[in-house]
Amino acid sequence: MKRILAMLLTLVMVFALVACSSGNNGGTNNGGSSNNGGSTGGEEGSTPGVQGTLTIGIASDINELDPQQQNDQINNNCIALTHQTLVFLANENNDYLPSLAESWEWTDDTHLVFHLVENATFSDGTPFNADDVVFTYEKAMDPDRSVVAATLSLVESVEKIDEYTVQFVTSSYSNELLAVLAGYPLVILSEDAYNSGMENPHYVGTGRYIFDEWVPGQYVRFVKNENYWGDDPGVSDVIEFRPIIEAASRVAALQSGDIDVCIDPPINELSFLEEDEDITVHNQAGTRLFYLGFNCESEPFNNQTLRQAIACAINRQEIIDGVLDGYGQAQTTVVNRGVWSFYDDMEGFDYDVERAKELLAEAGYSEGELTVTLYISNGSPYTSIAPMIMQYLGEIGVGVDIQQFDEATLKTQCQDGNQQMFLWRWNVIDRLDEIYTELFSTDYATNYHQYSDPYVDDMAKQVLTEKDRDTREQLSIELQEYLVEACPQVPLYTADLVIAYDKNLKGEYLFGGGNHNWSWAYIDLSGSEA
Amino acid sequence: MIRYVLKRLLFMIPTILITSFLIYFAMDLAGGDPVNTILPENATTEQKEALREEMGLNDPFLIRYARYMGGLVTGDMGESYVTGLDVFDRFMQCLPMTLALGGTALILACIISIPLGIYTALNQNSWKDTTGMVFALFGVSMPNFWLGLMLMLVFAVNLNWLPSQGAEGPKYLILPALTVGLGLAALITRTTRSSMLDVIRADYMTTAKAKGASRRRVIYYHGLKNAMIPIVTAIGMQFSLVMTGSALAEVVFSWPGIGRLVFESIDKRDVPTVTGSIILCCILMSIINLLVDLIYAFLDPRIKAQYSNKG
Repeated sequence: MKRILAMLLTLVMVFALVACSSGNNGGTNNGGSSNNGGSTGGEEGSTPGVQGTLTIGIASDINELDPQQQNDQINNNCIALTHQTLVFLANENNDYLPSLAESWEWTDDTHLVFHLVENATFSDGTPFNADDVVFTYEKAMDPDRSVVAATLSLVESVEKIDEYTVQFVTSSYSNELLAVLAGYPLVILSEDAYNSGMENPHYVGTGRYIFDEWVPGQYVRFVKNENYWGDDPGVSDVIEFRPIIEAASRVAALQSGDIDVCIDPPINELSFLEEDEDITVHNQAGTRLFYLGFNCESEPFNNQTLRQAIACAINRQEIIDGVLDGYGQAQTTVVNRGVWSFYDDMEGFDYDVERAKELLAEAGYSEGELTVTLYISNGSPYTSIAPMIMQYLGEIGVGVDIQQFDEATLKTQCQDGNQQMFLWRWNVIDRLDEIYTELFSTDYATNYHQYSDPYVDDMAKQVLTEKDRDTREQLSIELQEYLVEACPQVPLYTADLVIAYDKNLKGEYLFGGGNHNWSWAYIDLSGSEA
Repeated sequence: MIRYVLKRLLFMIPTILITSFLIYFAMDLAGGDPVNTILPENATTEQKEALREEMGLNDPFLIRYARYMGGLVTGDMGESYVTGLDVFDRFMQCLPMTLALGGTALILACIISIPLGIYTALNQNSWKDTTGMVFALFGVSMPNFWLGLMLMLVFAVNLNWLPSQGAEGPKYLILPALTVGLGLAALITRTTRSSMLDVIRADYMTTAKAKGASRRRVIYYHGLKNAMIPIVTAIGMQFSLVMTGSALAEVVFSWPGIGRLVFESIDKRDVPTVTGSIILCCILMSIINLLVDLIYAFLDPRIKAQYSNKG
């Protein structure tokens, strides 16, 4: 028996060693430095008083760091560390600030000229210039080499004027082009790196950090770019993102000090986190709008009055309280809260069961006559919202059949027009065309409402191209009022951004929609000693 | 014996064919367009159609399945729709982690459960037996998802002795292995106890005692050896399940094993990864079952003789 026990214990040790040795296998890296894979949480780095490694617990793993081959938020959070755009979107007032371009101007309706900074260098030491900008955008506009080509449909060409000046030639003036260029899929790439034949040239950027290693399922790590060209370099030596998909585990990891930042902490654990004196629970207005959409093209929701009846039946505040524990704001308009020209003072269709019943009758349906399908995606918050909507519609005599899909299937179903109602969300920070064009313009791929209205198409174009700010704002407000009345969707709420982190975190740069930039973030150890 | 092993290996081929067809068919039935997983939401219709054509998604189901199986034979299981990583490489990257977790958990379970099972059998119907069985019932009934979180709260958050998540060294293995191992221990304890109770009253045990063999020799040499076949069966079955079913523990502790890989892939509808991983799991389970059968032969000469006769 003793021999068996000894053998079993030996096996335990062998398995543990296997686990230990395979922990770092299979990662993709740039051949750069790499520590042993463990978090260095709590230890001082090269900057006195600053923790060496900042570890961020995320809800899902990254999947692609080639900027033009993706457009996922978590990838973009990483790309924001290693690369830079021509212009930088400020998080407080949505202003566009100089980044790799120090100034810019529209010289006429179809020419936007950028004057580039002259001292920037890539992480491999090569200088940044106009050739890199031209290379980046020519690649981005080629649908065979970029999945984000559609975002540049207005751009006809990008031309080099001189070493540090480039000109964008567009088919028309666009109020949103700067915003498009500030998007992380369109960060500036190094032409030299691509021409050198190196593996993964997209890792070379001008940012404050350098990609170090990605071990799928475990971590993606970035090290500080010691040769960063600007005067505001990164502070932490290393920034790691760790995918911890179970939300409760993410919270436990934060409380145990294994991570410093917990993205998307579960709402029902916030009260415990708030009691923890070592942790800050940060809450700010979000930009992610959750809504109940209708398929406006086919029966029964090609009936506008029926859509309005459904809107009146839904108690948005109760959904916010029930699903978000109050961490969200109800709204009437279709424009995301915080986006320029957001207007929410229209009458709309607030919760009013009697009015809902009247509108239902006006739409030609009696109570109990109608049963509709509601398509939702797996997971939170949809699975929590859907039963509430079922209950609300039950109160006005409309039956609901909830059908649940994974996200890709739901998108396909909605694009094919198989849905009657669907729950979805749309995250917009600043671009109105992401709302008016991408959600409501005829035949646009993401117009899951199957909505088609020449007036809306025309107004969307006017809002995009109108140069006079006051006129444009008025147009946008008119369009919002029109769309609320047309009711292709029932805006439910904008979820607040809630994020929990070590109380000594400094330099965080957060966006309400989650497109954070961690380039300046660090843990101040002097604060923890105090 | 060798022919028996070869025969069993050949039987794996139809198993794999049927499994792969069912999985491929099920993933196809689920609907949804993989192009929507790969391309951003606002990609143009032309881009989507071009990618569909490039990936052969417009072909009929059987042609796509045949193409997939053709790739499988040459070791090409495709690339993940989500990460673009090679499916086989990704699986093989996760396999050692799951082997480590499953192996450690199973050994922990054996260390706890076999002595406990013997002890409770020898003290049948006493308070000791009842206590052991309450432990077993507790282990069987407790969801390991919950147990994992409780262990994490106690040992990682409150005591700060162990890391809460990750896989960078032996200490990271302790909590997930305990989580999985305690559930397994419960089942093996019950099997050991009932198996020992069956043999404890056998004539050969009485004979051994009558011949003056020590209590220890009677229990461990004559009793346990004969009781081992059901226990090995239980351990083998548990190991197969652990290899493919410790997803919850892997998710809770961010342990980068097969279970978590499949869990995440299903969530993101990463068809090549789900299909490839399940087929590889199927092969793995077949191999484990074969090994368990071969262990029978070493434990019981009668079974070895049967294999030899068949062979």
